[in-house]
Amino acid sequence: MTIEKKLKKWEQQTLQNWLKENPETKKRYNTDVGIELERLYTPTNLDGEAFDYERDLGFPGEYPFTRGITPSMYRSNPFIVSVYSGFGTPRQSNQRYKKILEWGGVDEIAIAADLPTQMGYDSDHVMSKGEVGRVGVAIDSLRDMEILFEDIPLNRLKRVSFLGNSFGPIALALMIALGRKQGLQTSDFTINLQNDILKEYIARGTYIIPIRPAVRLATDVVGYCADNIPNWYPINICANHINAAGAGSTKATAFALANGMCYISDLLEKGYHIDAVAPLLTMFLDERADFFVSICNFRATRRIWARLMKENLKAKKPESMALKIYAYSHGGEAMLEPMNNTVRITLAALAYVFGGVQFLENASYDEVLGTPSENAAKIAARTQQILMHELGITNTVDPLGGSYFVESLTNQIEKEILKEFEQVEAKGGAIAAIESGYYKARISEGASKRQRAFESGERISVGVNKYRTESEIPSGAFRIDPSSEKEQVDQLVKVKKNRNNRTVRETLEFVREVAKSDGNIVAPILEAVTAYATIGEICGVLRDLFGEYQSTEYFRAR
Amino acid sequence: MNRKARILIGKVGLDGHDVGARVVARALADAGMEVIYTGLRQSTQHIVTAAVEEAVDVIGISILSGAHMALLADIIQSLKQIDSEDIPLVVGGIIPMEDIPMLKEMGVLEVFPPETPTQAIVEFFSGLVHGA
Repeated sequence: MTIEKKLKKWEQQTLQNWLKENPETKKRYNTDVGIELERLYTPTNLDGEAFDYERDLGFPGEYPFTRGITPSMYRSNPFIVSVYSGFGTPRQSNQRYKKILEWGGVDEIAIAADLPTQMGYDSDHVMSKGEVGRVGVAIDSLRDMEILFEDIPLNRLKRVSFLGNSFGPIALALMIALGRKQGLQTSDFTINLQNDILKEYIARGTYIIPIRPAVRLATDVVGYCADNIPNWYPINICANHINAAGAGSTKATAFALANGMCYISDLLEKGYHIDAVAPLLTMFLDERADFFVSICNFRATRRIWARLMKENLKAKKPESMALKIYAYSHGGEAMLEPMNNTVRITLAALAYVFGGVQFLENASYDEVLGTPSENAAKIAARTQQILMHELGITNTVDPLGGSYFVESLTNQIEKEILKEFEQVEAKGGAIAAIESGYYKARISEGASKRQRAFESGERISVGVNKYRTESEIPSGAFRIDPSSEKEQVDQLVKVKKNRNNRTVRETLEFVREVAKSDGNIVAPILEAVTAYATIGEICGVLRDLFGEYQSTEYFRAR
Repeated sequence: MNRKARILIGKVGLDGHDVGARVVARALADAGMEVIYTGLRQSTQHIVTAAVEEAVDVIGISILSGAHMALLADIIQSLKQIDSEDIPLVVGGIIPMEDIPMLKEMGVLEVFPPETPTQAIVEFFSGLVHGA
């Protein structure tokens, strides 16, 4: 008897008889991405054309990299343990960074910047009122970076990350200039920038200038690194925020891939070869509602990336095809009984490790309540270290490879991602999808669907909409010192007084000139930041020249 | 009552997250109200001007960045300056519990912390515009 026949027999007899007495708790077992799961996966799911080991998996470190980007994965290269941190003034954050380094085993610090910094406003700007040092550290000039990394040489860490989405070239220049101040060459240390401006217009919201010039500035950063600092990571293409906003992880990955293609085509137009830029690109993937979808999303995305690079873009270097993945573990955290979030985050991180992540950050259990406390941040880092070193999780490459379920779901997710990606490409690509509102509409649909699933109880959050015992969200989240804003403004005044203001004016004029041309903006901005021009002043030049992006979100629903 | 209830949903502060504001705006519209959503990063002055020009019945503010104290104080002050403090002001977003009594004392009518069911928000707005 063939396996199909045996399966049918099992379904009709054993299963049906069992279900009569033991009904299942739900009619359907749905995932957040809309794929309905089967009860059981068997060899029949991978029959015939559906699955070919060599074509679909291959070996780790080889095309199409489904099983991982290196041959021995975590045996040779443990994933990077990264901690996202920053609050108040650079001085306060510097103290925190030193404590983080005392914990041991932290490879990367990701600088959390406050919103004025992310929006290109100095701490004394009217729009900065009440926001300075909240959600991240306040950075106005190179002086603040010097204080932030006082007694912390940049080469003491494996990587340092800086968001810099709306001002990528300034973020890059600040890190180069800081390295020089510390007596380091750019080849001595590694910087990772998020510098993914497209997703800001879609989901995260910290944009400044209009889309097209903003894309040019972002790819100037990639171009500068390809020419001068190929050991840095100049762009991290984000599915994370698009998923969190409501898209679901398959659509989010598809949109992120389309955004990535937009940057790449801009770089090709600037004259770069695909193999000069693709190895510098990483992706920030995300799934926080389903353990197995998460694993399969990573595996599928690596395969899609490899094929896009090789087949569509004619890349030749394996490094161009091997996608490095960055992830930030969230597990649908709740504000009620927040300690439970530690468990949710641990499981989300475990899925990322099974999925073959390279750079891992964990949310802190109290992050939903505000800036993480020191103790919560330490538990987050320790969780990553436990996953790396205890329980044998990282001993074997792609341990779930070959599972009927995991391979079937990987195939299904790959198909869905490709379908969504091709739809965006057919509509004219990422910029057209932003301008037409296509991305936003998909995200809004998804967000409303999630909210309904939560309120109807279809989506369970333990302690919140099931087994709820608490009525009040706990208080006592970490608070920044209220005098931080004034301290930071005083510091800014001091910087402006002590620098050579004539040099600042000249360098800002040079920034304007190059911005007007089609030259690379990084070198002039490097001169400006070195002269202690502020982020607000440099963004002021860009705002003046390119204008501000006008969101078309003033709408009436009836 | 012939006129539909008019609601202004506004985002102040610098944060770029408006999933919550959009979900609430959509739910209120589905419940038959006319909803004007301002988009991200409006100045407090712009919110007040829009509220008065559009003659809204309720102002709903969404804020996640933590700057709620300073920004809501600004809005209340601006409303008072033009004798419009009778427009009910409600707030949603990441607001620590311990800040709620102080916000209410300042003149905020109600605060909806995260994990408030959408339906509860809709009912509160309906009560405000139809109930009294």
